[in-house]
Amino acid sequence: MRSFSLIFKQFSRSVLLIAGFAFLGFSAYAQGDAAKGEALYKAKCSACHKIDIRVVGPALGQIVTAETDDKWLAKWVQNSQGLIAAKDPKALKIFNEYNQAGMTAFAELSDGDVADIMAYTRTTWKTMQAVPAPGTVAGQAAGTAAGQAAATGPSNLVVFSMIGIIVLAFIIILVLNKVIARLERLLLKNKGLFAEEAATQKAPVDRLATVKKLAKNKKLVFFVLLCGTLAFCSWGWVTMWNTNIHQGYQPVQPIKFAHDLHAGAMKIDCQYCHSGAYKSKNASIPSLNVCMNCHKTIDRALNSKTASTEIQKIYDALGYDPQTQKYDSTKARPVQWVRIHNLPDFVYFNHSQHVVAGKQKCQTCHGQIQEMKEVYQYSPLTMKWCVQCHKRTKVDFKGNAYYTNLEQVHKLLGEHKPVSVAVMGGIECSKCHY
Amino acid sequence: MLAMNKIKILGTTVIIIAATIITSSCNDKRSTGWEFAPNMYEHLAYDPDQQNGNFKDGKTAQVPPAGTVPVGFISFDYPNTKDGYDKASIEYKNTIASTPQNLADGELLFARFCSPCHGATGQGDGEVTKHGFPAPPSYSTGQSSRGGAMKDLTDGKIYHSITYGVNAMGSYASQLDPQERMKVTLYVHHLQTL
Repeated sequence: MRSFSLIFKQFSRSVLLIAGFAFLGFSAYAQGDAAKGEALYKAKCSACHKIDIRVVGPALGQIVTAETDDKWLAKWVQNSQGLIAAKDPKALKIFNEYNQAGMTAFAELSDGDVADIMAYTRTTWKTMQAVPAPGTVAGQAAGTAAGQAAATGPSNLVVFSMIGIIVLAFIIILVLNKVIARLERLLLKNKGLFAEEAATQKAPVDRLATVKKLAKNKKLVFFVLLCGTLAFCSWGWVTMWNTNIHQGYQPVQPIKFAHDLHAGAMKIDCQYCHSGAYKSKNASIPSLNVCMNCHKTIDRALNSKTASTEIQKIYDALGYDPQTQKYDSTKARPVQWVRIHNLPDFVYFNHSQHVVAGKQKCQTCHGQIQEMKEVYQYSPLTMKWCVQCHKRTKVDFKGNAYYTNLEQVHKLLGEHKPVSVAVMGGIECSKCHY
Repeated sequence: MLAMNKIKILGTTVIIIAATIITSSCNDKRSTGWEFAPNMYEHLAYDPDQQNGNFKDGKTAQVPPAGTVPVGFISFDYPNTKDGYDKASIEYKNTIASTPQNLADGELLFARFCSPCHGATGQGDGEVTKHGFPAPPSYSTGQSSRGGAMKDLTDGKIYHSITYGVNAMGSYASQLDPQERMKVTLYVHHLQTL
């Protein structure tokens, strides 16, 4: 009997233990705390994962909902490299599918923490799936339509058709007027009252008479002619002077890149993208791989539900598919940016000279770029403008290797006044024209 | 009375059309305005970022033929794989001296190309991360996604990451030449001690 009770005790204990563990495991799966999970998710996962779209790693919503083995998921999160080294088939499949990019090992996350994160991912994915379908499609369609309309702006076609419509409307009014007049005349004829016709003809004669009277006043005629000539001459003068000056030119660009967002709000250095400015003559328009440094991850505005149509244009130009993250060079076609600043070929201008040796800020010539939603030509880029700046700008010798020799000569001559660019030959013809 | 109407109507039409033409032609920001001798501006020589019908892809700025090496280019012969990364970590050493000038250059380049995400002090708190971009780990306290602490990253690992990119970070090979990458590596080593 005793042995039986002992065995029973042991048996019941083990059953209880197993039941307890099972319950713990079950509760961890079923009741993983989504709220706790959210905090952990944001701290540990969101750098590489998103719930709904693939970023660096897979889109978690689908993959985690499909995978029900929580223990395996916990093992993966805590040490994915270990699983891969152990040749776990599931692990190897994911590893190879995502270009053999290893996931950080989160050894500090307990099984419970992982369960919380999984609970958060699953519930979020469920709510995401429940809501969007029709809304996103309609929203996207509206977005693209609005985007296209805004991109084209009031084109010449629209302006001319508006003018055409106005002219047409006036012609219609004139024709109708004529019809009315004829009808009225018919009415009058029927009534036998022609007398008033003479009165209607008299009115324009009277008006012309006043004009003729004014035309006889020679002083007035002279004054009017003088005003006209002056206005024409001043208009001609200004127009002639501004021939070939593109100041204020603001063409429509193929992608609505917002400098106020990137250089202003995000405070990204101008030379992050225009990296030619400090080592080349040309400031260079960035190649699209520079855009993709960030836009591989960012495909929409912050807190936006739909992908941005403008960022999509980068993907299209590269033949990039954000779903598979693969480039198809056969679909790639270069973006045709419209050149704004254009110096004629008979002028030499070098960006690096001005940025590095001259220590000039981009804004000196290009204006407050970081506040421009759409870039326009800020400076006139005339020779007068160049020369004026060369006369006024003092050269900064300090720590400027380019001017070491010049500074020595300057000191030898016993000059101590600050030197302008013009003094050092900055306004000599052959400096820029050769 | 009707004739008067006609004159009035015609007059206003002419004035309105004239006014629209004058105002729109003077203030059209979408056009470059009047040009004299435009062939001086639209020159025969091609600008680097100009359309060019002589090439198949229509670009003037062509990619150099495969295998071309610029004069004085320091090659980095480690492939963009985990093995290449580990091999670079052991074998690769910076050939640039840790002088104050190089460190200052590195700081400038880091501020320009890296700080938008990594932050000025390398803590992974750059301006862009405040607007929703995934934040990179801190150089001094963070963990690398490829194992080990960020503060233990070697020359080879840092140089490999700059050249090929890692995770959300893209390749900076087109923006930084090998010399500049070494200077940035120097400065990152400084940030690891913060």
